[in-house]
Order: sequence, then structure tokens, then C-alpha cells
Amino acid sequence: MGPPKKSRKDRSGGDKFGKKRRAEDEAFTQLVDDNDSLDATESEGIPGAASKNAETNDEQINTDEYGAKDYRSQMQLRTDHGNRPLWVAPNGHVFLESFSPVYKHAHDFLIAISEPVCRPEHIHEYKLTAYSLYAAVSVGLQTHDIVEYLKRLSKTSIPEGILEFIRLCTLSYGKVKLVLKHNKYFIESPHPEVLQKLLKDPVIQKCRLIRSEGEDFIQGTLDGKAITQFGTKLPAGATDKPAADHAAAAGAVVAADGTTAVPEDITDFYEKIDKEEEDEDEANLKTVSFEVAQEKIEVIQKRCIEIEHPLLAEYDFRNDTNNPDINIDLKPAAVLRPYQEKSLRKMFGNGRARSGVIVLPCGAGKSLVGVTACCTVRKRALVLCNSGVSVEQWKQQFKMWSTADDSMICRFTSEAKDKPMGCGILVTTYSMITHTQKRSWEAEQTMRWLQEQEWGIMVLDEVHTIPAKMFRRVLTIVQSHCKLGLTATLLREDDKIADLNFLIGPKLYEANWLELQKKGYIARVQCAEVWCPMSPEFYREYLTTKTSKKMLLYVMNPSKFRSCQFLIKYHEQRGDKTIVFSDNVFALKHYAIKMNKPFIYGPTSQNERIQILQNFKFNSKVNTIFVSKVADTSFDLPEANVLIQISSHGGSRRQEAQRLGRILRAKKGAIAEEYNAFFYTLVSQDTMEMSYSRKRQRFLVNQGYSYKVITHLKGMDTDSDLMYGTQEEQGQLLQLVLSASDLDCEDEKLPGEPGYRPSGSGGTVRRVGGLSSMSGGDDAIYYEHRKKNVGSVHPLFKKFRG
Amino acid sequence: MADTKSGSGRHSAAGGSGNTVLSPLGQGPANLECKDFQEYLRTRQTPESLEKLYNYPPICLAVFRELPEIARQFIIRILFVDQPVPQAVVTSWGAQRCAKEQAEATSCLTALNVWRVTAIPGGLSAWELSPTFKKSVRQVLLGGGKPWPMTNTLDKDSKPRDIAFLDTYAMSRWRCVLHYMVGTGNRSGTDAEAISPDAVRILLHANLMKRDERDGITITRQGFQFLLLDTRAQVWHFMLQYLDTCEERGISLPECLSMLFQLTQFSTLGRDYSSEGMNNQMLTFLQHLREFGLVFQRKRKEGRFYPTRLALNVTSKEAAATASVAMDEEATQDCGYIVVETNYRVYAYTDSPLQVAVLGLFTELLYRFPNLVVGVLTRDSVRQALRGGITAEQIVSYLEQYAHPNMRMVESAIHSKSCLPPTVVDQIKLWELERNRFTYTEGVLYNQFLSHTDFVTLRDYAQSIHMLVWQNERTRTMVVQKNGHDDVKRYWKKYSKSGV
Repeated sequence: MGPPKKSRKDRSGGDKFGKKRRAEDEAFTQLVDDNDSLDATESEGIPGAASKNAETNDEQINTDEYGAKDYRSQMQLRTDHGNRPLWVAPNGHVFLESFSPVYKHAHDFLIAISEPVCRPEHIHEYKLTAYSLYAAVSVGLQTHDIVEYLKRLSKTSIPEGILEFIRLCTLSYGKVKLVLKHNKYFIESPHPEVLQKLLKDPVIQKCRLIRSEGEDFIQGTLDGKAITQFGTKLPAGATDKPAADHAAAAGAVVAADGTTAVPEDITDFYEKIDKEEEDEDEANLKTVSFEVAQEKIEVIQKRCIEIEHPLLAEYDFRNDTNNPDINIDLKPAAVLRPYQEKSLRKMFGNGRARSGVIVLPCGAGKSLVGVTACCTVRKRALVLCNSGVSVEQWKQQFKMWSTADDSMICRFTSEAKDKPMGCGILVTTYSMITHTQKRSWEAEQTMRWLQEQEWGIMVLDEVHTIPAKMFRRVLTIVQSHCKLGLTATLLREDDKIADLNFLIGPKLYEANWLELQKKGYIARVQCAEVWCPMSPEFYREYLTTKTSKKMLLYVMNPSKFRSCQFLIKYHEQRGDKTIVFSDNVFALKHYAIKMNKPFIYGPTSQNERIQILQNFKFNSKVNTIFVSKVADTSFDLPEANVLIQISSHGGSRRQEAQRLGRILRAKKGAIAEEYNAFFYTLVSQDTMEMSYSRKRQRFLVNQGYSYKVITHLKGMDTDSDLMYGTQEEQGQLLQLVLSASDLDCEDEKLPGEPGYRPSGSGGTVRRVGGLSSMSGGDDAIYYEHRKKNVGSVHPLFKKFRG
Repeated sequence: MADTKSGSGRHSAAGGSGNTVLSPLGQGPANLECKDFQEYLRTRQTPESLEKLYNYPPICLAVFRELPEIARQFIIRILFVDQPVPQAVVTSWGAQRCAKEQAEATSCLTALNVWRVTAIPGGLSAWELSPTFKKSVRQVLLGGGKPWPMTNTLDKDSKPRDIAFLDTYAMSRWRCVLHYMVGTGNRSGTDAEAISPDAVRILLHANLMKRDERDGITITRQGFQFLLLDTRAQVWHFMLQYLDTCEERGISLPECLSMLFQLTQFSTLGRDYSSEGMNNQMLTFLQHLREFGLVFQRKRKEGRFYPTRLALNVTSKEAAATASVAMDEEATQDCGYIVVETNYRVYAYTDSPLQVAVLGLFTELLYRFPNLVVGVLTRDSVRQALRGGITAEQIVSYLEQYAHPNMRMVESAIHSKSCLPPTVVDQIKLWELERNRFTYTEGVLYNQFLSHTDFVTLRDYAQSIHMLVWQNERTRTMVVQKNGHDDVKRYWKKYSKSGV
């Protein structure tokens, strides 16, 4: 009898699967690649090779009967594959076993050359992209090293297409550097032939600064001694770490007679690469260079990108005598954690300061990295962040970790304008710098001063949040030698993140969330998605109403309100500090006022904000605050350990990660418990929120977080104190929602976002009108609720609402 | 007068309308049923046919062994008593607190027709062992009767086969059947891979596969469920189906069963047995067993065969646990190859078409490397499996059963009993629950009211006694719960009378 035929239905199902899957796959990896969508103006300033994409390499590859891409014909399994930790797919995806004995080596290497896609418990996925390879080259890896090491680590042979891709992306990159040395700009390269090629270009020729006739290349040696010590009081063990690694690796080989044999070529080669890196640091590397005119820097940078030799900016700060040193050091108490040190080592690898982005989870001590970088360069430093509150927090950080005092730190915001003259560190916001309208005389003076300075280092906090356009403005206004971007989530829903690679520099380091969590550097968070059934009345309206109202309906779902109230109550009894997030201002105010809790949103003034935050920190009676998305980033609330999200901005993965970051700071003495922080997302069942929420979680899920779905909160039904228990009350709530204006249905808009309507004047961001009219609260029904509450207003409200 | 027509109907309330209660009603056609040996005898056999089976001592011994402990005690006590034993006496053997176990044993013996009730003088009822059963068991315990086949002594095998060889042989044969089911069997095209028409017939009979309209053969949903079972359960289920069909091809069922039991319960792994003295039917049966990998025989005509691990212990419940563990250890390539991540990724260290096919049932496969398959559990892929009749429980237990050793070493896996990420397990179950969101309420439909007032009156009444399920004023239609129908009808009669 013949073989059974697979039914036709199955087959077509498989195909459909394939297509859908690919679409999803792309969605999974779109954090880094796909700049095809960039329009013409956006893509300028980015070299052509950067748009190369390995993802399409496998289009011709057959899919098997299940719709999977079948790579089996492309690669041979090696006989000792059990000892090697990774697979390299022809489309640039790399899979790494985290339980392999050589995991540590492979992990360090992959972090350098590729982008992490997902890093859960057992098997990690990375992806080779043009940008990641660019970053690899810029921290000193060579093409042949990358290829060779990849070959050794792989369980199979490497597909030819990938080798080609690596060569393509690395050969022309990282060969030339723009170095500021002795106050002159040089184009420097260890490869004379590359410089020859550059000089044949007419545009570059014009930029060359020739001081004497017939001058040839300046022969030079790179005699930089690596900075291996940050601050003064680094634990001695930390610098010996590489050596210890080697010992461990050697140990693994010794134990090789057993089962955990590490193929010797892997460890050998790892040592070799490591040594080379050190060699490069220590030894005198022959280089050639020519000087360029300072005013033509912009032109030459642009031109070099066009001819596929992007310039890496390096700052030889120790030989810079033009700019005065500032007297700032790390305090002895400031001890860097291993990953912070590692990230800084990447930045100051060869004794000079490279520009680039460091990615660390929120709460993992990004500010300390920034402060340390400033203390290492010891030149004038400019710190840019995105809100007034975080300006204050940065100042605090500087005072806490370094020897800088008030006189050295100058704040420049709409509220606080310190005297800038003579200070070493200026902290300000992006919007202050890029502000185009008329400024006060004082601000004007500061701006002029700021523009005149040559900054040693510019620290860009939350670098992912600024639009590329704003960013370019900042770069044209401020002259700085070295740029350090700091962020927790290097991803944007619009995928413009790739620009940062060339506007600031390559990504220097990205930490693994799960590993930090295991080591106790960040809190262990239990993520949960709480499903709140829509009450029948709300669901009927939800199905029939137009889109903008839909959102308000699912946010104001009474059972969501009850769940929220229940969770707040539960955690207040435990003595936790809770933050409740809502993007929708109408809902935010309704929830907060109804439950009698303080709240912060866009129009809340700076003073009021700080007062509420102080109370939240120190007042044991204020355990819960409601905040809008103004608190998404850089509100440092170390006390908070519970976060409840009642409405959010569509499917934004970044927002989810940023919000999680609010409670990530490691909690004291809570190692004993399995989880010491809680992250709840309240979702109305059967509404759009469900799919949004799935989308939002993707980033964190890929970092190894898992979301527990809670369909029923135990004890909620029996709790009679919860509001909106009766049909009647729910009906009133529904009426209230239905009578809300269209404006109320929208998310809050912050400055800088499309759709933001500035209504105030001057530098401040305020909307005209009272709080109640802002929310549509002028309706009679709204007042009814307020009246109800008058009796039991919290002392904080009395104060704030006058 | 209003014309009230009532018809019985089912009213279903869509999910999301508040009080959704999960009901098992949403599930589709019958799922795969797995019976153990006792259940098989109880349900498939009539008392008469059981009597026939008891003529074979091996069957009796197997039945005896499978009985609950107390039941075995009873039998031993009355085996040599030649007259019926009063029920009261049997009951008095056990303490009062064990009454429940005793009752269980009693009913078990009755169901298997091992003993039956007779009346003894004095009006008392008594237990009497079935004479055939009694005879056979006595024979087994004391010896006598015809010698069993297979017991003939053999010369020493010149090339004896060791256990490892038998295990690989058995698994490779059994996999042929499974491969055939998922349609990967004949791809390589060798004869050794093919399975016989008889086996195909069994698969068809068992409803594990079915003929499609183009006369090809495709796997059914029961077939998919079958694949998710562990090997022992698969073999047992398959053999039961074989026994069902053996009469059709002229092999006597009792003989087959008897031989199967000799093989499975009374033979030793790694020993060879003689097929001498078997009749033609039994030799055919032996060939079938050989095909499925339950026995190993070098040549068709050779009078010597080895039972394999597949055959051993397949029938007994107790041995199940130990046997399957042993089997897993032997077939190392079978166990522990799946890694499930918290991001729903599934990595399987395998290149076996069978394992890939099974995984493909409920995962979306992304990439295939020479020794690794990368897939992801998505809502769509799991729902497709659920539609195919696979339950969430089956998916989870399959993933658990074959979880990679590293999965078991994770901190959370040590604390909880499952080594899978709890969120993934929850999600798979939630995906299943999603499909069962209808609540069914039986009700009676009232419509065609002549006036609005009539409608409103009756509706309000129904509402006041909390029997109203649904109503629509515009179409003047209402549905009343079934147990409220009488009340409402009575009220309507009273109302319409008074109204006229």
C-alpha cells in the first residue's frame, strides 16, 4: 500500500503559515534592522552598506513541509558539535546555548558583533546586522577575527552568504578615525592605502589642511595606554578579571577528559583575541594621518559616509591641552559593578574616548556610568536629559558619586537657571537646547556661552526618546568631542533607532536583563496581566461606538476600576509603594480622585511634582500615586515596588520596558522572596487592549521576562469596599464616559510628540484652562462626583487644588 | 387572544457578556479513548466470550494478576472450596473500615465474570467461582494440562541477541508505524520502512487514519492524539485495536490474547523462545507481532523468537511506570530534546522526521538546522492543534515528557513539579479555554404575542421569578428557562383568561 498523502488542506495551511510567520518574524526583529522605510531625507548621513540586510539572504531557501526554512542543505554538522555552542542561520540569526561550557566566551563575542534578539533562559537568539558589525569593528575587532571565531564556535559550517555579509559590512568600516589631538583634527588610519583612497576624493582633498608644501602623511604611533582603572578605588580583583577568565577557561580544558570538553581551538582563539585587544591597547601601533580643517569637519564626515568609510570619532582627551581639566573625581564610595565597568572599558578601550551608546536596564545604574565617564574624561561635560525632574536627579547623582559640588554643577532649565560661568558640568534638557522661540535674557546668555564652549563629553540620557530631527539640532548647536548615549531600550516603534548608530556612534554595550536580575543588581519582577471582563453594558457600547470612544470605554471598564482598587488596597496592606500609570488623562483623574490619591500629569507644575514625589518617598501615608506618561522615563522612584498600568500607549514595547524600569531598582534585603516587585497590566477582556498588550510585552518577553495571566483576583468578589459594585453605579460611570468629549479620549500628548498642541507661551509647557475643564469635567456629572468627594479629600489635594 | 407558541430551543449567550461559565459542551467529536486491560475485558466482552477466554490458563493468570489485592485474596480462599460460599461469610473476612475496598473488589470480580451469585439452600445468596476460571487457575498454580506453546526447550542460539539490540530493533519497527501515520515513512523509499496492509487496516479500523476522497490515507485527529501518547500506551492501544480485528482475518481472539499474555507477562527480555507447536493462525499472529516490533525473529521460518521490551509489560498497569522509564533510558535519542522558553520559543534537538512532525502539530516551525528545529508556540498554531482534537493537556504533557535535561535544572523547575515555564503552560490552557466560552441554557421560546401589553406582562412576570433568559421588545420574543416554563405557562393561562 502506498504512503498516505498529506491532504491538500494541510499543505496550503503550511504555506499560509509560512507567510504569516515570516511577517511575525520580521516584527520580532524589527528593533534593529529595516531602515528601508526611511524616507530620503532621513536616510542621508547613513552609509550604503548599512542598509544591507542579511534577512533577505535566505529567500531562495526551500521551506519544508511545515513551512520552516530548511537550512540543512546549507550547512554540515561538525563531529564535535556537542561542544560548540551556536548555530548560524543564513539569514544572520545566531542561536546560542546558554548552558554550554563556553557560553561566556561566546556571549561576550556575540554581544560585540551582533544584536541580541531574545535572551531567555536556555537558548539565546542574536542577529548579525550591518550596524552591529559596524559596532564590532569600531571597538577593534577585525574581519578575519570575526569570521574565524564564528567558525570555531559554530556547531555547523557557516553559510557562505553570511561570511560574505560579514566581509561586506566590516571591510570598509572602522578603518578611519577622526581624532582630536593636540587641539587639531586628524584623519587617522593604520592603513595607508585607505587614506590614499580618501585623498583621491575631491571633496576630502579640499578639507585637508596642509601646513607646509609637499607634506606627506604624518607618521605616528598610537601610544595610548589603556585606561583600565575607573576612579580610584576599584576593587583590585576587577582588573584581574580577564586573567581569571583565562584561568577558568584553562580549567575547562583541563577538565576536558570528562564530558564538558571545550574544544581547544575556542579557548585558544579567545585568548588570542583578548591579547590582541590588549596589544592594541598597550603596544605602539603604527598609524598614518593627515590633518583636516576644523570648520570642514561636518563636510568631511558626510562625505566619508557617502563613500562608505564612516569616520569613527575618537577623542584623545589626555593630550587635549586646549580645554582645561575640571577638578572632578569619583568618590571612594563609588564602586562600579562588573557590567558597568565592562561597558566603560568598551568606551575607553584604547586610551581614548569613543562615542557610542551604552544600553543598560533601568535601575541598573546608568547614571553612575555617565558620572564615571565624565570623571574619566575630566573635561567640561554637558548632560542632556528629557525632563526638569531628571535634571535635578542628575545633579543629585553627580553630588552623590563624584567630588563635584554645587558650584561646579549648573542646571539650565526653565525653572532653575544657575550661573553657568566657570562651572564644569552643565545639566539641561533637550527641549531647552532646541527651543526656537524667544528666550529670557538670562537664558540667552547661557545659550551663547554654551554654544561657545568646546565640550569634552556630552552625555545623552534616554537617548532613544529624542526624534532624529531634534537630535541633529542639538548636534549643530553643541560642539563636543565625545558623545555618550545612555538608554534602557534601544528600540522605537518607528524603527528610526538605526540613525543613532551614525549620529552618536555604535552601540558599545548591552546588558542582559535576566543575568543582572539573577545577580541581584535589579529587582526580581513578577509581571502579570490581569484580565478584567468587560461589563455587559460597557461591552455593548464598545462594540457599537466609534474608535476614539472605544478606548475610553475599555479604560473605564468598571471591573478594571475594581481590580485596580483591589490591587492598590492589597499592596498598601503589605506596605508596598505603588505607582499607577495611565496614559489617558480623563481616566487618570477619575481613578485618582475617586480613590483619593495624588496624581501627576503634564500640566502639574514642577514644584507640585517634586512635592508629591517627596511625599511618596518619605511620607508613610502616601503609598500610592497616579501618574501619566510624563513619568515614563527618568522619574527615579527607588521606593516604588508595585506598578499598575491601567491604560497605555497602543502597542509600544518601549513604554512597557520603560515603565517596568520604574520598579527595577534593586530592593533592599528582599533576596529571600522569589519576587520583590510587581508589575500589573490591567487589560479589558475581548477588547483591542488584549492585542496591544501582547505586542507591548514582546520586548520584555524577549529579555526573558514572563507574564503571568491572572483571570481572577482572589478575594475581589467578597470585598465589599470596592466601588462600582452595583449596576446603578456602573450605569452612572457609563453615562460619564459617554458624555466625555473627544479630547478626553486621546492619550496625553507630550512636547515633541506629533499631535502635541502647545497652548502656553514661553519655554514652559502648559495648557490653558483649569484642571476640570481640561478633562471635560465641566459637565454636571463630573462635578457631582467631585462634590461627593469633598468630605474626604486627602491633605495633599487640599494643598494642591487650593 | 395572544397565540403563545412555545418551542423548545437552546439559547446560547456569547462570551464577554458577564457571567460566562465554562462548559465542556463546546468540545467536538469523540476523542481518543485509552483503556487498560481490565476495562477492555469488561466493556468489550460478553459473559459468554469471557467464559471462552477463561479456557486459556495464561489469560486467567493475567486476569488474576491484574485484580485488586483483596479480590485476589478472595479467589485464593475459595479456589479449592467446591461449594458456593455465602456472601455474608465473604464480607466477614474484611474489617468494617475496609468495606469500601471490599465492595470494589466484589464488583470487580462480578464484572469480570470471575464469580457469580447463586442461591444456596436457606435462602441465602452465595458466591460461586466460574468453573472454567477455577479450573484454569488451579491448573496454572498447580501445573497440569496441556503444555503451553513457547515453552519447548530450544538449542542454544548460535548468535544470541542482546537486550540493546532488541531495543533498537523494537523501536525502529515501531517507529515505522508512526512514520507511516505522519506520512514520512516511505519518503526514503526502502522496503524496511514500509508497513503491511494488515497494519494499515488496523490503523483504519482504529480510526487513527482515514481514507480521504482521493483514496489516499490521512491521519485523523485521534491519530494525532495517538502520537502524543507515550510508547507503552501507543502499543497497548494499537494491540487492542488489533485484537478487535483479528476475528475478521480468521485468527481466534482467545488464542491471540493467550499468546499475547504469555509474551507480555510470562517471558523474559533477552531470552529466546520456540514457536514450535503453534498452529498456523498463531504463526500469522507472530508475524504481525514481528512487524510491529513486539518480537524479534531472524527469519520468517525460524522456529525461534525473542520478545522485545515493547511487548513486555505492555498490558499491566503497575509495570507501566517502570517500563516507560526504562524505555526512555534505553532510547536516549527519544528523551529530553525539547527546550521551551518563556518567550514561547521551542527548540528541539532532533532531526527525526517523526518528532518534527509531532512538533509541527502544535508549533509554528521557523528554522531547521542539521540537528535543531526552531519553532514558536503561537495562538494560531495551538488553536489549530486544538481544532484537530488535541487537548492542551496533551500538548503540555508531551512537552514535559520530552523536556531537555537542562529544563529540569532551572530553579523554578525544581520548585514546581513541571519543568515548563508556568506562563507558557497557563497560556496554552488559556488558549484552550478561549474556545469554550459559550454557556448553554436550556429554555423555551415565547413569541408571536398579539399585543405589546401581553408581552410586557409576561416578560415582567418571568423576570420577577428570575426565569427570564433573554427578551427583545421589538420582536416580542422572550426565552424562559426550562424549569420556569410551567410557572410562566400557568401564569399566562390565568392572565389570558382573566383578560378575556
